[in-house]
Amino acid sequence: MKSWHIGGKTLPVIAVLVYLFLWLPVIILIIFSFSADKFGIRWEGFTLHWYANLLQNVGVRHALRMSVTVAIITMIAATVLGTLAAYGLYKYKFRGMGALRMGSLLPIVTPWVVTGAALLLFYTRVLPIPLGYPSILIAHITFSFPLALFVILGRMQRIDWTLEEASADLGASRLTTWRKITLPLLLPAIIASVMLIFPWSFSDFTITFFVSGIGTTTLPIYVYSQMRYGATPVINTIGTIFVAAPLIAMLLMNFLQRRRAA
Amino acid sequence: MQTPKFAGKLARDFGKRAGRSLAKQVHLPYVGPVGLWVILFVVVPLGFIIYFSFVTIGPFGKIIPTFTLKNYQTAMAAGYGRILLRSFLFAAVTNVLCLLIGYPLAYWIVKYGGKWETLLLLLIILPSWTNYLIRLYAVKLIIGSSGLINSALLNLGLISSPLHILYTPYAVILGLVHVWLPFMVLPIYASLKGLDPSLFEASADLGAAPFKTFSTVTLPLTRGGILAGTILVFIPALGEWLVPLMLGGGKVMLAGSLVQHFFIKLGNAPMGSTIATFLIAAILLVVYVCFKLGGRETLERVI
Repeated sequence: MKSWHIGGKTLPVIAVLVYLFLWLPVIILIIFSFSADKFGIRWEGFTLHWYANLLQNVGVRHALRMSVTVAIITMIAATVLGTLAAYGLYKYKFRGMGALRMGSLLPIVTPWVVTGAALLLFYTRVLPIPLGYPSILIAHITFSFPLALFVILGRMQRIDWTLEEASADLGASRLTTWRKITLPLLLPAIIASVMLIFPWSFSDFTITFFVSGIGTTTLPIYVYSQMRYGATPVINTIGTIFVAAPLIAMLLMNFLQRRRAA
Repeated sequence: MQTPKFAGKLARDFGKRAGRSLAKQVHLPYVGPVGLWVILFVVVPLGFIIYFSFVTIGPFGKIIPTFTLKNYQTAMAAGYGRILLRSFLFAAVTNVLCLLIGYPLAYWIVKYGGKWETLLLLLIILPSWTNYLIRLYAVKLIIGSSGLINSALLNLGLISSPLHILYTPYAVILGLVHVWLPFMVLPIYASLKGLDPSLFEASADLGAAPFKTFSTVTLPLTRGGILAGTILVFIPALGEWLVPLMLGGGKVMLAGSLVQHFFIKLGNAPMGSTIATFLIAAILLVVYVCFKLGGRETLERVI
């Protein structure tokens, strides 16, 4: 067989450079989060001081609580919406299918500023929804449910659905079939969607920035407000948490998948 | 006694018809909630953005609901057209750079990744799942005037005063590529992964040199992935506001910066909506062209 590969020598070099390009800022941030420098912008010896400070910082604790609450509610609501819609789109043919798909694609392809501005306009001028938890939750669910929908829809194609028909043939009610057959079949897809949505919602900045109003703060908004006072080590420590959170979520997902496969 | 009987029949008929059509609507419990959500929180808000670009607000923030093109005239007179063009240019440059960097990387992962493939891919995805505000801050730590690059070069004696990288258009493009690159790599990876290796073998066996195989077989067959990547990179880059703010230092404004400026800083919804409408139009154009060129595969890879 003749060779059809190209770039065997240059490609690894490019790859290393790209990985460095993507990861260097993050790595620097993590390193500086352990640096004793009081601005957190150079290395001055190892310390855990900033992490200890972080735990005592009331502002951070409040923001963290809000971020986690929002992410958990978003994760559940978006996954429920997305799962139902994916099931409906997969199992039935109906008028407006294409429109629904396209409509669900909109939050993915619309730039964040436009989504944020549109929702802000809607809340303040059309439907009076208080800026704070309600506005943030609606916004987060809006940009998260398409993720659940398309992740689950993609995985549904690889599921063996005969069990569901068997259950219906044997006289099980719709609800029983859902509970005993459909949900367990969908569970891996649902877990995948949940694991994606949590960090997605947890780390959103732009849209939350538009719709949060005054006084309410998620962790990214808190970080932004800190940045305006210049460099502080708080940003490095929170940044490290932001890197760690999706890493943990992904490792967990990988672990769960492996356990299911085994 | 005629009326009640008739009414009863009418009600029965109606009930039957409603029942029948309801029975046909079995999909509604599943897709209904999302359908409502999309209409209420996606379509209607975007519709109001477009509506607001054609009205003005009066002294007390009340809308004056007469159709006008004044906002568009003001936008052009104030030179926002230039900023929109610049956004388009920056997004295009970012897209080309992401393609030039992302394609070889995706190719390398598919061909040489071996058992590390999943890990290599994860390392691409992971940064995009961390907060991008923080990543931009970290980029600043590196390219700032007292950042890593400058202090290293100064210490080595290669330069005598810090290089001005931060707060230039180059820094903005660097940031845009840094943030959006993963979204170019992933669809191209998926597209390359889906190709049948026997195609390349056939091409090689028929005498094509490796580069010829790449340019006549591989590249055309991954068009869908490239266009999907273009949608995922070009569009967010076009609407970007945080990168110009953080790395351009307010000196390099993009369309997204204007939207933010009008909505948040000035509370001028009609002007903000006008800029946002321009963005929506530009995006529809890009999406349309990409889907037209790439067909179904592009749509699937975007998702």
